[in-house]
Amino acid sequence: MTITVEPSYDDVQMLVDEVWTSFLGSEEPLLPGAPTDLAVGWSAAVTVSGEWHGMVSVELPTGLAEEVTRRMLMVEETLDEDVADAVGELVNMIGGNVKSLMPGPSVLSLPVVAAGRVARPSDSVEVCRLDASWAGTPLLVSVYVRKDA
Amino acid sequence: MKILVADDSRVMRQIVIRTLRQAGYSGHEVIEAENGKEGLDLVRSEAPDLVLSDWNMPEMTGIDFLSALRSSGSTVPFGFVTSEGSADMRARAEAGGALFLIAKPFTPEAFDEALAPVLKG
Repeated sequence: MTITVEPSYDDVQMLVDEVWTSFLGSEEPLLPGAPTDLAVGWSAAVTVSGEWHGMVSVELPTGLAEEVTRRMLMVEETLDEDVADAVGELVNMIGGNVKSLMPGPSVLSLPVVAAGRVARPSDSVEVCRLDASWAGTPLLVSVYVRKDA
Repeated sequence: MKILVADDSRVMRQIVIRTLRQAGYSGHEVIEAENGKEGLDLVRSEAPDLVLSDWNMPEMTGIDFLSALRSSGSTVPFGFVTSEGSADMRARAEAGGALFLIAKPFTPEAFDEALAPVLKG
């Protein structure tokens, strides 16, 4: 069994950091975190199909997802639809940038957002796992690729 | 001037509008569309001076939106604001008649660089 080409940990860390800093500010940096059993409140995923097949997901605790939404919209109160929108846009940006690093041409899906953890396809394997921490709260970004039969 | 911002994410439309202000383009009227189809209707009814569009949207994608505009004879200045900034996507955008492609995440400086020739020129 062979695994198709995958993005490097450093590349994923750099682009996640860029997304985070651009839209959430640099006063609170995104730090590398220890792998933890995350209490996932919200998650989102996009898939890439074509020359490269993969899935990128983001998992956040509820409080962090809400804070991300407040920062992105610059509001005090958040509705669930705003949180779903913000978390979906986060994974869209991260996934779009991962796609740009991989062989093309390929197509990026619209984001799928879940209150809880999104299921990953059973024929995929995690090739990059970025455990991070923001304002003392853990989050997880993962890249999966389809296993070659 | 009137600027149409097309993106299926309300959060991203707000960020684009905020970034326009931060880049020094606060005096312009902004109208919003949730997808390319709605954008197409608004170009016809509102005659904006510039379109800033996401690429990946339900109903009608940004590239189909641009293609429909050009097919109908519209020459409205059009730029993409999208998470996909690969050379392939930039080439497709240019071939379709887009003036620029701003990749997400972006900065006010990136907006100014792309928009200045259109709005200040």
